[in-house]
Amino acid sequence: MNPRHHLDEATVLSFAAGALSAEMAAVAATHMEVCELCRERLSEAERIGGALLGQQQPAAGADAARGARLREAMLDLLDEEPKLEADAANGRLRPTDAPVDADCLPRPLQPYFGRSWRALRWRWMAPGVHMIRAARGSGDTLILLKIAPGKSMPIHSHQGTELTQILQGAYDDALGHYAPGDVADLDNEIQHQPVTAPGVPCVCVAALDAPLRFPGWLARKLQPLVGL
Amino acid sequence: MSSSDPQVRDAEYWSAQMAAVSHRRDRDCFMRIYDHFAPRARLYLKGLGCPEAVAEELAQEALLRLWQRASSYDASRSSLSTWLFRIARNLHIDRVRREPCWVPMDDEPGWPDRDDASGFSSAESHAEHVDLQHRIERLPAVQARLIRMSYFEAKSHQEIADELGMPLGTVKSSLRRAFQRLQLGVRGQA
Repeated sequence: MNPRHHLDEATVLSFAAGALSAEMAAVAATHMEVCELCRERLSEAERIGGALLGQQQPAAGADAARGARLREAMLDLLDEEPKLEADAANGRLRPTDAPVDADCLPRPLQPYFGRSWRALRWRWMAPGVHMIRAARGSGDTLILLKIAPGKSMPIHSHQGTELTQILQGAYDDALGHYAPGDVADLDNEIQHQPVTAPGVPCVCVAALDAPLRFPGWLARKLQPLVGL
Repeated sequence: MSSSDPQVRDAEYWSAQMAAVSHRRDRDCFMRIYDHFAPRARLYLKGLGCPEAVAEELAQEALLRLWQRASSYDASRSSLSTWLFRIARNLHIDRVRREPCWVPMDDEPGWPDRDDASGFSSAESHAEHVDLQHRIERLPAVQARLIRMSYFEAKSHQEIADELGMPLGTVKSSLRRAFQRLQLGVRGQA
């Protein structure tokens, strides 16, 4: 997989800084798993974090007694056997070019939607549109969308940020052709009307930090229906 | 940039201390690293909003991980401060934000598939690290402020936009420009 549409560098930077919501981070991590360029940028953004950490200037001599006590505690800890961390490491985000199993969801999405594509319970939202909204979350919205092939979605814009990763199928809009692995990193300056490609349904995962805005009477009727 | 630059010597110095920890489990070298970096890690964690006691506890744990995982450290892949930054950031997300669904980010010293990093010699990467620090110091004021709000306060683009009364698009484009400006140093294309 060689994505052609990437995360905004400002999004990569915030991901590295730990400044994305959990939902936005889940979509960004799903993209990183298949995108070497964005992983490379993530490493660079983390180096900025390292440089900033190194530039911190602790006040000299601040609470020396407390510092000495912490230092003693650290010396004691050095003699302890390290805890076995093999299991912890297994849960970490690692780049993978192919899922282990075709039925397996991308790992960053599993806490929200489970492990298995087949076990997903799609909800009908509108003709040709199915959706699953993640129940758990920290405030932003995370949804899986399945849109029938050759279908035109209503024109919409965004009040905030919409981060969408294509998982299967494809769509086209004014910004280009989006295929599996591609991410659309959009904000409120962009209005778009995706049209799904013919063939297979387009499945994508999207994180939103504000409701979508649909212009036009049809879309206004659709909006409460879609519940966004 | 020559290695007579004191900051390059500094980066080389910490890397050599960590190599001694990695190869010989050298406690004295580790405690030099501890004395330098533990107060910086505490400051970083306090800046993210941790109460003093939590910042102390997490900083201790972050430094202890350097000791426990020293054998996997490779100076050509990441500077010590970058590795420590990753560990401290992840500890904060795991323990303080307690995100129930967060898939933790990797905090090993380098991505497992990143063999390309071996294209850099350690000396180059120390010089690059210092170059990056110089570039951070020279960022225009607004970009520097947005960078600090992102890294030290973990604020989202929207939170920054609200707090500074800036359009969201301006926050994103300023951060993008800052990143590109700093990246030139990282990639050595300056």
